Amino acid sequence: MSEMRPGRPLTCARVRVLMEAYVDGDLAAADSSMAESVRTHVSTCDDCRRQHDQAVSLPYRLKALRSPIPPAALVQGVMDAIRPTRTASRRAWALLVPEGLLVAFIVWYLSGLDGLASAASGTVTDLQVLLNWGVGGADLPSVPVADVFLLIALIALAITAAYHLAVLSRLGDRTDSAQQSFRGHRRT
Amino acid sequence: MSEEQSPRDAEADAHAARNDTDRPRGGWRGRWVWPVVIAALAVLGVLLALANIALNSPWLGPLSEAVVGPAVIASPLHNRLPGSDRFERTRPIQSFAFRSPFRPIGLISPLQGLRALLTNGAALILVALAVLIVFPDRARGAVERLEDRRGPEIALVAGVATLLLTLAALLLLRFTLIFLVLIPVLIAIALAVAIFGIACIALAFGRLMQHRLGLGATHPLVASLAGALIVFDLAVIPYAGLVALAALAVAGLGIAVVTRFGSETGWSFAGLKW
Repeated sequence: MSEMRPGRPLTCARVRVLMEAYVDGDLAAADSSMAESVRTHVSTCDDCRRQHDQAVSLPYRLKALRSPIPPAALVQGVMDAIRPTRTASRRAWALLVPEGLLVAFIVWYLSGLDGLASAASGTVTDLQVLLNWGVGGADLPSVPVADVFLLIALIALAITAAYHLAVLSRLGDRTDSAQQSFRGHRRT
Repeated sequence: MSEEQSPRDAEADAHAARNDTDRPRGGWRGRWVWPVVIAALAVLGVLLALANIALNSPWLGPLSEAVVGPAVIASPLHNRLPGSDRFERTRPIQSFAFRSPFRPIGLISPLQGLRALLTNGAALILVALAVLIVFPDRARGAVERLEDRRGPEIALVAGVATLLLTLAALLLLRFTLIFLVLIPVLIAIALAVAIFGIACIALAFGRLMQHRLGLGATHPLVASLAGALIVFDLAVIPYAGLVALAALAVAGLGIAVVTRFGSETGWSFAGLKW
């Protein structure tokens, strides 16, 4: 913006050109003497004062805003926001199948519920021995011999269940975020 | 929306307004509605516990007894030493005793049902209220997720997945020596999470009953007290009670895990990306 001498009277046409910068406060920041000149002119000129009042009114300023151009991927984004919920919902139920198969395999491999019960009792015994070792009353318990197939099945079950939980968490979050965005859209 | 109102408060207002619109007209209002409902639920629990004891749910025997307490009242007096009944306080119970009409078990007393309410039921209520008092915001987060359209089914499936993950982890830890000591810790954490979930389910039950029956507004802890009584009533249903309690515990575990213990932000690994 060009430097102007302070106190110089301005024409109405010039004031109207500077009006937007004056209302936004940009003019005062860039050239305070020019802003002072505009203020003086506005206080003495009825037409320019009317123009100023209109410029500072909220509807006018809102109308002056340009409508934001919707992003090109808006439709795709909406569709993506909807579709994964259904897919994830199906996946959330479908993952019960491999989990059930893995559980059945593990139970069968451990000779049924009796095998599971003996594994649990063995764990308790080992814990007791470990506790006694801690107070110096016994030797360390021996590490049980691990069967590779059983370990693989257990690790696969753990990974599947963890992935299942991740799917379920996202499913809930998507539902929430969709509801929140819908409520936000309704408010606007 | 006023400037002083936070987005969360506005959301709560909108939720309340929606509930108001969902509420059936001409619901039960009045000062004594909630005490009457709570008393009715308590009486129902006592009756169901008594039925459970009388039927002695055979296929879940010892586990069922753990929920409702011992089925048979104190041993006969003639087995005792003279004078040993000076401090006996079971006479009122024995005076009401009768034989089960369904199964040939010993004498049972209606007061045994009351005992189940005053022990396991009271403990359940106290734990649920304590959880809600200590973690009110987290409980709200979990209950809001439960009240979503598909919240209960997500909670149940997530509970099953969490249970399987926990069992797999326990069995894997069994094959280690260093991490063996983590097994009790893991079990304790799982139990604590399940208890938190059951408390949230109790609050959700209370709120559901409040909205469906059109009961008047009350303190959230009163609603959760009624909800905890519903949980107790479900747990003492003959034959199916233990299964219902297990399902509630699994769903509670699931909703606590899915919502990251009722956290507002849920699971996010954004903190690890820098």
